[in-house]
Amino acid sequence: MPDERPREMDRRRFLTVLGVSGAGTAVLSGCSTDKVEKLIPYLVQSEDQVPGLPTYYASTCTECSAGCGLHVKTREGRAIKLEGNPEHPVNAGTLCARGQAGLQGLYNPGRLTSPMQRNASGGFDPIEWDAAITLLAQRVGGAGAGVAAINGYGAGTFSSLLADWVGALGGRVVRWQPFDHEPIRAAGRQVFGIDALPSHDFSRARQIVSFGADFLETWLSPIENQRGFAEAHGFRNGQMARHVFVAPRMSLTGLNADQWLGVAPGSEALVALAMANLILSERTSAPADANALRSSLSAYTPEMAAQAAGVEAEEIRRLARDFASAEPSLAVAGGIGNQHRGAVELAAAVNILNYVAGNVGVTVRFDQPIDSGDGYGAMRDLVGRMDRGEVQVALVHESNPAYALPQSAEFAAAFAKVPFKVSTAQVLDETAALCDLLLPSLHALERWDDLAARVGVTGLMQPVMEPVFPVRHTGDVLLAAAKLVGGALAGFTAPTFEAHLKAAWAARAQDNADNADNAWHDALRRGGLYGAPAGPAVSLAANAAPAAWVAPIFDGDGAYVFAPYPSSMLSDGRGANRPWLMENPDPVTKITWQSWVEVHPDTAAELDVRNGEILELTSPHGTLEAPVYIYPGIRRDTVAIPLGMGHTEYGAYATGRGVNAADLIAATDGAGFLPYSSTRVSLRKVGRYEMPATTEGTPRQLGRHIVEAMPLPLAARGLTVRQAYEEQGGAHHEYNTEREVQALDGWTDKQIEMTQFGNYANEHPKWGLAVDLSRCTGCSACITACYAENNIPVLGEEEIFKGREMTWIRIERYWEGGTDGEALEARFAPVMCQHCDNAPCEPVCPVYAAYHTPDGLNGQVYNRCVGTRYCSNNCPYKVRYFNWYAYNKTAFPEPLNLQLNPDVTVRARGVMEKCTFCVQRIRSAQHQARLEDRPLADGDVVTACAQACPSGALTFGNVKDGTSRVAIAKQDPRGYHMLEDTNVRPAVTYLAKVLHRTEA
Amino acid sequence: MRKLIILGVGSALVAVAALVVAGDRPGITAQEAVVRDSATAYVLAATDTAQLQGPRQPIFFRHDIHAGQYKISCQYCHYSVSVASEPGIPSLETCMTCHTVIGGASADTATRNEIAKVRTAWNEKQPVEWVRIHTLGKHAHFPHMRHIKAMGPNACATCHGDVARMPQVFKVNNVNNMGWCISCHVERNVSRDCTVCHY
Repeated sequence: MPDERPREMDRRRFLTVLGVSGAGTAVLSGCSTDKVEKLIPYLVQSEDQVPGLPTYYASTCTECSAGCGLHVKTREGRAIKLEGNPEHPVNAGTLCARGQAGLQGLYNPGRLTSPMQRNASGGFDPIEWDAAITLLAQRVGGAGAGVAAINGYGAGTFSSLLADWVGALGGRVVRWQPFDHEPIRAAGRQVFGIDALPSHDFSRARQIVSFGADFLETWLSPIENQRGFAEAHGFRNGQMARHVFVAPRMSLTGLNADQWLGVAPGSEALVALAMANLILSERTSAPADANALRSSLSAYTPEMAAQAAGVEAEEIRRLARDFASAEPSLAVAGGIGNQHRGAVELAAAVNILNYVAGNVGVTVRFDQPIDSGDGYGAMRDLVGRMDRGEVQVALVHESNPAYALPQSAEFAAAFAKVPFKVSTAQVLDETAALCDLLLPSLHALERWDDLAARVGVTGLMQPVMEPVFPVRHTGDVLLAAAKLVGGALAGFTAPTFEAHLKAAWAARAQDNADNADNAWHDALRRGGLYGAPAGPAVSLAANAAPAAWVAPIFDGDGAYVFAPYPSSMLSDGRGANRPWLMENPDPVTKITWQSWVEVHPDTAAELDVRNGEILELTSPHGTLEAPVYIYPGIRRDTVAIPLGMGHTEYGAYATGRGVNAADLIAATDGAGFLPYSSTRVSLRKVGRYEMPATTEGTPRQLGRHIVEAMPLPLAARGLTVRQAYEEQGGAHHEYNTEREVQALDGWTDKQIEMTQFGNYANEHPKWGLAVDLSRCTGCSACITACYAENNIPVLGEEEIFKGREMTWIRIERYWEGGTDGEALEARFAPVMCQHCDNAPCEPVCPVYAAYHTPDGLNGQVYNRCVGTRYCSNNCPYKVRYFNWYAYNKTAFPEPLNLQLNPDVTVRARGVMEKCTFCVQRIRSAQHQARLEDRPLADGDVVTACAQACPSGALTFGNVKDGTSRVAIAKQDPRGYHMLEDTNVRPAVTYLAKVLHRTEA
Repeated sequence: MRKLIILGVGSALVAVAALVVAGDRPGITAQEAVVRDSATAYVLAATDTAQLQGPRQPIFFRHDIHAGQYKISCQYCHYSVSVASEPGIPSLETCMTCHTVIGGASADTATRNEIAKVRTAWNEKQPVEWVRIHTLGKHAHFPHMRHIKAMGPNACATCHGDVARMPQVFKVNNVNNMGWCISCHVERNVSRDCTVCHY
């Protein structure tokens, strides 16, 4: 039994958290009954908690600005898993890896447990809450208009309260997040006269062109985009959309494209304008007012764009014609990885392109604008005011500018000139470390709050459990301080933020002439208010025409353009203290726990460097060193480093790992936004090596046909993978020789005979999984879902070096092409235990720990396992994972142990483990069906991976039931088994990826 | 708090009493040696507990009086046994529904003292820390509700013995022995698949 427990909690407090049968950290080694255990009942039984049964609360995700809806699974009064809210319009029941890892923000071992005050020696001393609030009130009361706040939280009641509170004193709040997408807003102003971030409907688009927007990763609303993208780009009824990625570097989004145009950095806008020009000149159905653009666009010929971008003019022509003929289509721009000094021009060019193609109002919509902050311009302004000594008290809420802003912005120096700095950070981050007073706030899952992520969608949050630590929500702190300050703040009379929030929602309900109480409870149950407001009619602004194009400037005279991009796991860096995200391999490079610099293979050859060799990058603004990752998906003249690493504070998981790519970039000349890609760098080999912590074996399939794909025309004809392969000139291949087939037939007969006996004799379901590779984007949400559901330990960099990662489900990424002028193609496939009918692991187990269950699972009985590892050696899929050490004791430091799922045994040292098809979910559904005297229905059992998948690529169910979704999916002609030659007869069927190539 | 942590989900919780004895299990004989029948059980004073089997509890809670003499249904207190894997330990509030009124005025001093302990715990908001008797290995999952569903609401005694006749609950059957489970599963011809319990 682990005896870890949060230090900061007394027993009684913990009781209220846990309740009676709490903390089922079921551990294998805990068989002994010698120890005296205690049963401690509730004083008063909570009505919504039944021991042994989960309770779900609706809430809202705060891990990025998209504001997805959550269903928080709680057991015995503590949150154990985050899932999507099926009712929510943004994510419709699914959740990305970052969102799921929000749970590790709640239980983060680095969380501050009490207010802290800076002492004379520069450290922090804990103080009482009353004293801390009094101190805040004194300083704020004396500062008046000298109060400023940086608010990284989205729109909603809290942000309004903070703005009113600071405003009443005469100060100003800057609402800012690093990825505020200012260029898209600016382009909306410029082209349509609408100052808002539009929402995008990918699901309807038949042709998608992304000009560097990483819409599957961090761009605006990633899950919503991914859902739509899978809908449009997934193969169905012989059709699928086509996706073209136009940017110097292929992000994960780029790897999901059917074509990559690796244009020169900064030239993307020319391609968009040339497309718009061509469409306008060749097409009659363009909106009438678009003709006004004709003359100003005429200069942008495909030849001119092709020359600047370094691609074929014919490619641009074809792209434009495809784009115009696909109705509707969708072009997107404005990804952080492509945010150079011409980002506004690029976004404006894409707006024009969408407009002339008739997409505005169809796939690009302004009726539900996405929330964004005040932008980088306002932040720069505030830094200037701080530097001039105009700010006396600075309040930083859920924001970490000291990390996220580049060194060249000189935030720390300006911030130091503020006499009194307050942070409400939950974890001591870089900005909090510079502050004088720390007032740690509650995690979003512990507090009352709301978040208006877009017009018409307001998510509500409720405390799903007692706070893990005795800290207070900043809303409560502001209200308490207001009472002490009085005067200008006398108007803030609400006793608590909860009361303030409810009053605000009651006022809102009255607007709707509704019963306030009902409306509140209804919103609480559904997770918020979802409306569909009508948007403004969108037409071209008078000055919509593009200005004469100027190539964006890159500082410095290095040979390579530097393109930092947001990590799809760590986002702007806030994910770096979540071990699930650090260990979840980057979908593109498969590297964990480290930073890397991506260079093209030719560049690497020129520099004579291999994977892992350290390169020194020097820009006019700084120097840093990072190991090389040779990436064929980047231009020769571009190098890239993911953002999000290189923390100097922010808890043990984040601190001192990798480099902060922002150190190399320029803080200025972005016209209201931070130009992430703004410098050139020179590269120097320093002659050192750092082993990459990669989970990848060989990146090529070497003819093994592991992840299959077929061209769209052949898939549309309904060919099987083998037929398509032969059709394309592949050699005819019999999987088994005649002798083998005979042997197999005998084997099959024997198996059938053996199922007549004992436990196997009765009617059983047979569980199976179908994986549609034409929908899978490689996003890795399933991996985090599996970690959360199955108590998988996070091991850290050192164990990854040895290839000991424990991911029960992993995403394989294989490269195809990329050499000899062939286009580079990435193929993703989630690989979990295939639950083979003829499983090679089973007969080699000397103790029958690996065996076949009557319902078709490949069972693994932990208490039988003696750790011979024969099963793992015999597994062709490498999906069995061994507990080399007592990870159950080391991988869940307090209070992370509270996240453990009590339904799943935490495996002890020396035990083999693997994907179980979430057998605990199967059993729980079977129990429920039995209690209700009904048979199991299709959809009763959903594995954690299938539940989380934003693309809907995974389908689980009973394959014996011919009407089940999985049985139907398995009938698809694209279906194949991975490594079919081995004749292991897997229960997992993959549906081949479909390539939408042009007929070149 | 430490004590809470050590409670495993998926393990059998405290003993539940049965109104009807289902079947003759060997352990019951041993228990009868102590208390001959439930009719005389309730006169046993708290001071006599030294001779009783089983661990001593912080409060001398008499299953033989509550479940035996007063025939209170097991599920009145163990409220979740028919719906969840956990049977549920009654909250102090449940105790106080009766013991706000019932103070043991007609009983002896020792009994009154035990009831007073419940009231004190309630007033001080200090839950009672019962000593756990039935514990299952943490790698085994025992769904109580499935067993109640299959064997009826009074099936508790099958594993827990005739708790209704126990002044102090003790372990009658070694429920943590897989043979105990399997013998019944074989007898009733229900699943013996490993992953039914072990996952």
